[in-house]
Amino acid sequence: MTLNRRSFVTLAGAGTAAAFGIPAYLPRIGEAADTLKIGLVEPYTGVYAGPAENETAGFQLALDAWNKRGGVMGRKVELVKEDNQNDPGVGAQKARKLIDQDKVAALVGTVNSAVSLSVSGVAFASGMIFIDSGGHSDNVTGASCHWNTFRTCHSTWMETHATGLSLAKRFGKRWFLITPDYAFGHALEAGYKDVLGKIGGTIVGDELTPLGTTDFSSYLTKIDAAKPDLIIVLVQGDDYTNCLKQMNQFGLLKKYPVGGPQVEIEPLLGLAPDSRAGYWGVEWYYKSDLTLGKGNTLAHEFVAQSTKQFGKPPTARNCFGYVTLDRLLTAMAEAKSLEAVKIAHAIEGSRFTSIFNGPAYYRKEDHQLMWPMWIAKIRPNGTPGDKYDLFDVLDIEPAEGIEQSIAEKEKVCKLGYP
Amino acid sequence: MKARTELLTGAAVVALFAAGPYLAPLVHLDISIVSEVLVIAIAVMSVNLLLGYTGLPAFGNAAYFGLGAYGAALSVQYFGVHFIEAVLIGTAFALVGGLILAPFLLRRRGIYFGLLSIAFGQVFYFIAYRDTDVTGGEDGMNITRPYFGIPAAHFAVHEVSFYYIALAVFVFALLAFRSIVRSPFGRTLVAIRQNETRVRFLGLNSDRFIFVALLLAAAMAGVSGALFALLINFAYPLELDWHQSGYFVLSMILGGAGTVWGPLAGAFIYVIGKDIISTITPLWQIFLGALFVACVLGFPRGILGSLAALFARSRAPGDLDANAAFDAHAPAEAPYVP
Amino acid sequence: MIHDLAPQVFNGLVLGAFYAIVGIGLSLIMNLTGTINMAHGSFMTLAGYLAFTMVSRGTSFWFALIAAPLIAVVVGILVERTLVRPLYKREPFYSLLMTFGLSLMAEEIYRLIWGPNGVPFSPPPGLASAVSLGFMSFPKFRIFIVVVLVVAMAALALFLTRTRFGLRLRAAVQDSEMIAALGTNTQLLYAVNFGLGIFLAGIAGVLAAGMLGLSPTSGNALLMPAFVTVIIGGMGSLFGSIVGGLLIGMAISLTTLWIPAASEVSMYILMALVLMIRPRGLFGEEGIFG
Repeated sequence: MTLNRRSFVTLAGAGTAAAFGIPAYLPRIGEAADTLKIGLVEPYTGVYAGPAENETAGFQLALDAWNKRGGVMGRKVELVKEDNQNDPGVGAQKARKLIDQDKVAALVGTVNSAVSLSVSGVAFASGMIFIDSGGHSDNVTGASCHWNTFRTCHSTWMETHATGLSLAKRFGKRWFLITPDYAFGHALEAGYKDVLGKIGGTIVGDELTPLGTTDFSSYLTKIDAAKPDLIIVLVQGDDYTNCLKQMNQFGLLKKYPVGGPQVEIEPLLGLAPDSRAGYWGVEWYYKSDLTLGKGNTLAHEFVAQSTKQFGKPPTARNCFGYVTLDRLLTAMAEAKSLEAVKIAHAIEGSRFTSIFNGPAYYRKEDHQLMWPMWIAKIRPNGTPGDKYDLFDVLDIEPAEGIEQSIAEKEKVCKLGYP
Repeated sequence: MKARTELLTGAAVVALFAAGPYLAPLVHLDISIVSEVLVIAIAVMSVNLLLGYTGLPAFGNAAYFGLGAYGAALSVQYFGVHFIEAVLIGTAFALVGGLILAPFLLRRRGIYFGLLSIAFGQVFYFIAYRDTDVTGGEDGMNITRPYFGIPAAHFAVHEVSFYYIALAVFVFALLAFRSIVRSPFGRTLVAIRQNETRVRFLGLNSDRFIFVALLLAAAMAGVSGALFALLINFAYPLELDWHQSGYFVLSMILGGAGTVWGPLAGAFIYVIGKDIISTITPLWQIFLGALFVACVLGFPRGILGSLAALFARSRAPGDLDANAAFDAHAPAEAPYVP
Repeated sequence: MIHDLAPQVFNGLVLGAFYAIVGIGLSLIMNLTGTINMAHGSFMTLAGYLAFTMVSRGTSFWFALIAAPLIAVVVGILVERTLVRPLYKREPFYSLLMTFGLSLMAEEIYRLIWGPNGVPFSPPPGLASAVSLGFMSFPKFRIFIVVVLVVAMAALALFLTRTRFGLRLRAAVQDSEMIAALGTNTQLLYAVNFGLGIFLAGIAGVLAAGMLGLSPTSGNALLMPAFVTVIIGGMGSLFGSIVGGLLIGMAISLTTLWIPAASEVSMYILMALVLMIRPRGLFGEEGIFG
């Protein structure tokens, strides 16, 4: 491919100028001077793209509902979305971009705890509110907490303590753990050890699966020898799908009960029905009175609207997104201000009802949303006519009983209000 | 390019960047992303030194980048050091990493060298991911950006101050890089790339030259990593992964391997291009991949390299054209088997 | 102790058989033209997704097992003719970079077509359960994988030794200039060779989809083990890839038994060791990559 020198230089010069100048001509879609912008940072690419989409759908519904009522303080609300690419460095840069360029009033989002932590840091440095919708690591409301950071989804401690006692009561106290060998897995492992310690249970096997394990066979072959009452699966996401699939192929799902701190609909959809089994913690569910609250019209409307608009029923992720934005905008409206400290005080402490069972509140001491968790049994094939109806919700666990006490949290978390 | 023209264009570019905080908002760019460009450009320079000039496929430089980042973050978190010390400690971490790996890497050349560097990089990645108590594991480490200066006289480093610090470090690194590649040492590196056997026959110990090059690259990537950690106030294991190395290599190829200004151009296109495209569409990865493919197939000399080739007439005799080796039709070079 | 060891060894060998199939495809492509195919995992995932789509529309698993890789081969040859061929004269590092870019594109394209979540793909009902081997229960599907490996190796060996084309392929690996001079259409040879490698990748991909999960990022996880297989076994030797695969499978399961934390890293350490002590691998040929 030979180009005449002059034409090449002109082309290259023009191309470069255009490329460098593009940002100048790139308007933000729908930019209007008086809209209230909220920055949403989610991993739209990478392994968590599925949950990210669902969280965004939840955010969207809350946005539409508020705009229909006239917005906040008379201004229409707008969501400015950025892809954090499941990378904390990118997340931090996008957060800064949203703050400096788009002049957002607050930040929300993320699925990955590491990104939550880095965005939380950027928000803290800029004195901006950040509500973590989907990152579960204890650190977000623990050692790395800040006055401006709140968290909607449950913490890993809540997950283990919601399910631990229930599972032990149902199946017995000899547990075999399959633990992902990094911080998140160890946090779950520590949580369960705490529960077992209190009830005198034993861990008959604890397989630490390193990062990147796609094949669990080497760990699964040890289970028969250990003779557990229950197999606890702590791996999440794609690893969860792999693990359960292989457990089924090894015939383990027929032999032993299986359970764990949390499961979501998204990974279950990646499994054939014969590999779906067990008792798990669920953070919300679209089709149970226990999770939605009996007669909770707001919840039922949310489910109906979500199903209609997105073609499938909402998952816990949708719930996180909705509740997060709804509470943020409520706080802004109540505080009649966009000052972060005022918004923070407006969010914390006050009890509210939403699309789930029972009132809840963002705890003043660590900014964790205190709402119940539930235990569900898997219905492998759903119910006739509804292939998504995979959870048979059996128990509810109130928040206060499953999260660390205020005293314990205050030891590690110093909010540091200015 | 004649020395004076080069000096003038260089000064012009630096002046342009010096006006960054005023120019960036005009094109809807955050100043901190331009800081990121400068910081990443230093890491890309480290790859350039090894791959562009010495001809060693350096696919593991992210390991030093990550070591620099963690070195800075750990020292700030646990020892409360200030900005300058954090950068120095991060660089030291990376240098130590380089010292540990160099004897192993030295034993191979060509693609084996590349695969070895990937393998070692992955080992570091796994360590960072696992070591949760100290490094926070996959949650990463949050740090507060420290003051710049000594206890007696210091200032807080906000975004604009950081930008100028990054610019200063970049200019220093660039000047250092330039003098390295133009020195006899640098020319020997190019000679090693062209034909290592011949260099050895001339009585030079090529291993020693490569050893120094490896350490220099480790140090540069370490500085870059330390600055990056201080830029985003965070350190995380992904920084060590081989995909990150791949992005450094892409930036180098885009800008022009074997040129002095190539890393800056490449880093600029990569960082800012990715930022803009990922805001427009979640399909940015397709564009990035396509850019990679197009670049390797059509523009292996990169932007600056292609421009330089066009103006080859104005090249002064004796000028170093390391970029010529990346021409699509360049003659194949003889592999050296140690 | 034997009680613990036997299942792990058996499991390791079977896992190794799987890695061997993956490695052989990669090795074929590398041997002839020096092309380092970082998109090998992406082709595997492609075949898996194609099989999933076929089976959801009603075809049998067995049909999909052959048809999906064949479609992947078509894509592969297209890629080879347009993107890989211009790089044959250049150093291997270029093909590494280009195929790396290709793998980035592929991941996003799969996400677009099949969605970001994993999709369920199961072995056929006859192979879906476990069989009792006395010392352990073992999935029938994994035993099937060993069978596939044996069949594929036999077929490949026959092809390479008994057919004229196979003979030319082996000759080209030794000296492609000479064979071109003798009148063979080397371009055709390169294309078919690449296609053969992709076919094996496709088979491995369908098997992987049945055994593990299937999502846009599935290919990444299998790429590195594939490389390590080829490096350990030796570039230039198909038999070496089998041995390499078995060694990795064993290394992973045995370290799981004794030093669990190191089981994924053990692969890289093994690779580093081999590269330093004997870079051409156990059965590799001297001088392929200098």
